[in-house]
Amino acid sequence: MTFKAFIIGLLGTFGIPWLLLVVIPYSTMRSLEPVEYGQNSKLAGAFVPKRDGRIKEGSKIFGQEGCALCHTQVIRPTYAGNDVHRGEWAGLRKSSSVDEDTRRETIVQDYQQEDVAHIGQTRVGPDLSNFGRRVEHYLKVNKSTRTPEQWALMHLYNPKGVPRYEVPETDEQIVTAWKSACPPKSGLFDKVEVHGAGYGTLPVDIEEGMGIKPTDRARALASYLVSLKKDIFGNPLPEALNYNPKAPQPEE
Amino acid sequence: MSETNSTADSRDVVLRSSIDRSLRHPVMFFFTSGGVWLALAIVLGLVASAKKHSPEFLTCFSWLDAGKVDAAHMSAMIYGWGLQAAFGIIIWLMARLSRKECTAAGVILWAGHTWNAAVFYGVVRIMMGEGSGVTYMEFPSEVWPVLMLCYSAITIWSLIQFQVRDAGHVYVSQWYLLAGLLWFPWIAVTAWVFVFLMDGHPLMVTGVAAWFKGTLFSLFLLPVALASSYYLAPKVTGRPVYSYNIALFGFWSLAVFGPWAGMQKLVGAPVPQFLPYAGAASMILILIPAIAVGYNIIRTVIGNSEVVAESPSLRFTAAGMVLFIVFGVLSVLLHTVPAMKLTQFSYTGYGFDILGLYGVFSLCAFGAVYFIVPRITRREWLSRRFIKWHFNCSLYGVSSIVLCAVIGGVTHGQGIEDLSQPFGTMAERASQFGWGVTLAWTFLLIANLFFCLHLLLMWARLGRRSSHPTLLKANHPENPHGPEGEVDTYSSASA
Repeated sequence: MTFKAFIIGLLGTFGIPWLLLVVIPYSTMRSLEPVEYGQNSKLAGAFVPKRDGRIKEGSKIFGQEGCALCHTQVIRPTYAGNDVHRGEWAGLRKSSSVDEDTRRETIVQDYQQEDVAHIGQTRVGPDLSNFGRRVEHYLKVNKSTRTPEQWALMHLYNPKGVPRYEVPETDEQIVTAWKSACPPKSGLFDKVEVHGAGYGTLPVDIEEGMGIKPTDRARALASYLVSLKKDIFGNPLPEALNYNPKAPQPEE
Repeated sequence: MSETNSTADSRDVVLRSSIDRSLRHPVMFFFTSGGVWLALAIVLGLVASAKKHSPEFLTCFSWLDAGKVDAAHMSAMIYGWGLQAAFGIIIWLMARLSRKECTAAGVILWAGHTWNAAVFYGVVRIMMGEGSGVTYMEFPSEVWPVLMLCYSAITIWSLIQFQVRDAGHVYVSQWYLLAGLLWFPWIAVTAWVFVFLMDGHPLMVTGVAAWFKGTLFSLFLLPVALASSYYLAPKVTGRPVYSYNIALFGFWSLAVFGPWAGMQKLVGAPVPQFLPYAGAASMILILIPAIAVGYNIIRTVIGNSEVVAESPSLRFTAAGMVLFIVFGVLSVLLHTVPAMKLTQFSYTGYGFDILGLYGVFSLCAFGAVYFIVPRITRREWLSRRFIKWHFNCSLYGVSSIVLCAVIGGVTHGQGIEDLSQPFGTMAERASQFGWGVTLAWTFLLIANLFFCLHLLLMWARLGRRSSHPTLLKANHPENPHGPEGEVDTYSSASA
């Protein structure tokens, strides 16, 4: 083997996968065509999911805090896994409190305006693709006055605490009442002195005159988490993107 | 070829000794700082693993949050230990094989210090929650160009040495080293540009980072480990490599399959479908180079079982090669389409990564360290027992981690797929295996405290002044504190 043949061999064996796996798909996916709503849809024009700046910041914090180690954000098609049918990971099922089944696989637009898609490394905790909608549903069913952000902040402060994610069994849901194994993110909260009603602090009992105040990072992270919904803005997806499976009913 | 051959040309001896002298500071620097980083990485790994089954552990320190400490653990392991050990092996092996002294030890040493500072800065930023937030490339974006510059300043001399070598046969190890030296900058620059500089689709950013992680192992760490094995196996046994053709086949099969690895993490994500499956296919096909190289090296040393038992370098290398074959077989089992459903998001991937990083790369690197350090310090290893403890605890620890993580991971994956069970039950069941992993990390910690201490003593020039290498035999026929050996006469000859 001559040196020249060696170098040409290396260029070929590495260059082809480099082009096919990295350069070409990267360039193609930089300029995806917008998807139009179909003729049967009530909505017109292109489907453009948008998120504001704080949510984008929250996405970055999600990565920096290492949440993606235990939480995935991808609903795989059924050939690759049962994610669509697992609880409310992929969307809400039709039930007495839900008008329409919104479950679907992840689509390319779900990560719009994030710097990086948090696919995740393991599923030590549940998938978060539909976290925002799940919390909303939970609060609605339990007739809670909290906003989803408040619930998310409480959960970040103390995942094992009071606001556990439980949906009543009567609601034809798979009950996901289990003790969270998520470590508390106490670094995202400040302990401050409070006067009066303690505006902006979390409703937790600690020593007299003190309160727990979420930092800006915690607020951004909570905004991001509650923005994770499979039915973005409550709007239906264009037909071309929607995949709404006929799910098997959970075993009794 | 054999260094112990008493008829070796004295000029050769002088040349070898002057090459060793010219490189002694940078190589020792990379090995010792790598050893310290490895110990640190294992402590972080212990904490990260404990947090998976006991989330309340050390929650008082927010910089030790589970996700951050895990990222810091892997980064310290790869960039602190893995790449630095690789640098030490590359610069020494390339100089020896090209038969050229190193004339830039000072530059390499400075670059090495900068590399350590950059890795330290990166790890601290990760733990402060100020990393890049990109899985598998967690260092902040400014760290990567510094690492690339240091890499160039460290390895460019090895390329030059290869270029100006006396014409002649190019040895197998040199193919691997040369290829690794060219692949790494290509991979790293591509990843840095596509992940941090360009504004790509978030999914492709994730994909490129996953590809970076996959190819960093298959096209840099692995080739360096294989180069070291191809050097040590014939060198220590005094026999030529079993088959040149198998070596050639093993090299090119890795070159063909290796670059596709990494994107299997994205199965089911809305990316072009062939990307993750190309990654999975490449991981399955890696069995081919694993068997080719493993078989070739094992055939070279087999029949000399006494040497394998005696020589620390060879024992580590042979164990690394056996684990490489295990890695290949496991890779086939874990990356088939039905298995990917279970393994994609379970603990399994972690166990598999540790098998590659520790079981294959690190064991081969330890073998190289045990061979190189006595030659550059002109001292022999102090304690046979330390080496034995290092070997036994390493092998036991890494096997336990892999077994617990893979079996626990498959159980975990099955649980998530089984819709008749609530998710929490499965996560709890998997966490039982986490205890096993944590316990196994303590064995690796013990192993590496022995290694690190031993290496630091050698670095402090407290090794035995003897011409008799430290072997793992029970009864050493010679006085372990033997007389001044001929190693010293090399230096007077070169002066």
